[in-house]
Amino acid sequence: MIELDHVTVRFQDRIILDDISISLTEHRIGVIGDNGSGKSTFARLLNGLLLPDQGDVTVNDFDTRADGKMVRSQVGFLFQNPDNQIVMPTVAEDLALGLKPLNLSKDEQAHRVTDVLERFALAHLVDRSAHLLSGGEKQLVALAGVMVTEPDILICDEPTTLLDRRNATHVMRLIADLPCQVIVVTHHVEHLNDFDRVLVIGNGRVSHDGPPQDTIPQYLETLA
Amino acid sequence: MIVGLYMPGDSTIHNVSAALKLIVMFAIGTVLVFLDGLVPLAILVIGIGFVFTSVAGLGAGRLWSATRPLLIWLAIIAATQIWIADGEAAIGVIFRLVALVWTAALVTFSTRLTDMADVIARLCLPLRPLGVSPDRVAFLIALTIRLIPAVFETVREVRDVQRARGLERAYLAAFVPVLTRVLGQADVLSDALVARGFDRWDTQ
Repeated sequence: MIELDHVTVRFQDRIILDDISISLTEHRIGVIGDNGSGKSTFARLLNGLLLPDQGDVTVNDFDTRADGKMVRSQVGFLFQNPDNQIVMPTVAEDLALGLKPLNLSKDEQAHRVTDVLERFALAHLVDRSAHLLSGGEKQLVALAGVMVTEPDILICDEPTTLLDRRNATHVMRLIADLPCQVIVVTHHVEHLNDFDRVLVIGNGRVSHDGPPQDTIPQYLETLA
Repeated sequence: MIVGLYMPGDSTIHNVSAALKLIVMFAIGTVLVFLDGLVPLAILVIGIGFVFTSVAGLGAGRLWSATRPLLIWLAIIAATQIWIADGEAAIGVIFRLVALVWTAALVTFSTRLTDMADVIARLCLPLRPLGVSPDRVAFLIALTIRLIPAVFETVREVRDVQRARGLERAYLAAFVPVLTRVLGQADVLSDALVARGFDRWDTQ
């Protein structure tokens, strides 16, 4: 469970997020809002990549400020651009890289890599150069690279922005079906229809909060 | 786009351990210093070329791509050697350099970066009592090797943008955008590494 307690984030003189208090307990949570509304800042707070200027963020009772490493061991993060997330040359090497900090045995590493490759239907790409794959394949590799560490929570920051409609739908379906808690920041509101809860961020605050059937139409109304 | 150097394959060379390949590479480098005469050097170059193209199955095209960037330097070195010594000396130096570059390319193309990093980590093990983390050193070196092509790609992208805007020969003007982009990429990469748990490496 993630909790934000009176969280404020500033950048120079500008307030990006303003005194947000919220508990995130649902299995699948969507976060939407305009460009510059603070969605990505919100996402980066949740695994301690960014620390609040005021207030606290706790994940499973670990404070992101005091226990950032512990938080990140439980919270995976999927970036918008997979090229920024994939580090090693081949798919297999990149997946194995994510396991290095866990100090697992070679056998356990190999088992986890094989398992995640099969789960995401990437086994045929195992020795391919990760950066020469298609956009959709790269995002799947990036997702597999996070999920191989078996996090309790997955944060996705606009994971489908660079993908075509077919790949975006495929990636979002995989993300939505994950057993762990999933928090997805996106502009593609149509992917959140089956989610349990959707937050709308606007002017640094959570302007709407509730089931997608309520919040998405409310958000779309503000765009009209 | 960041392009890796390893070319997957199942040849004998691919299956040899990274440590042995590095030892052989250093041995060839040492032999090249002491090997005298154009015929032995030529045989060595042909042998390395054969292993590269046929035994490792990496192909003549890849051998050419490894050699092409060297041509300008070979021409300069050959001209210098002819000027200060003679033609035979020039050919000898060219053979030595080509043999070294082809050997290095063979090892690079046939060895996973992670296997190479494991060897480096083992070599750094004696430094652990001094507070050096062998895994971190190996990862740093692997990441550096890995990102060299990324910098070239960034330069190409910036030059493309400038050419599209009519700045055909603005080489100096490319410096700032390239630097800005590389620093930006480094920033994002460091976030990605932290998100993937690299800040807790060796601390658990």
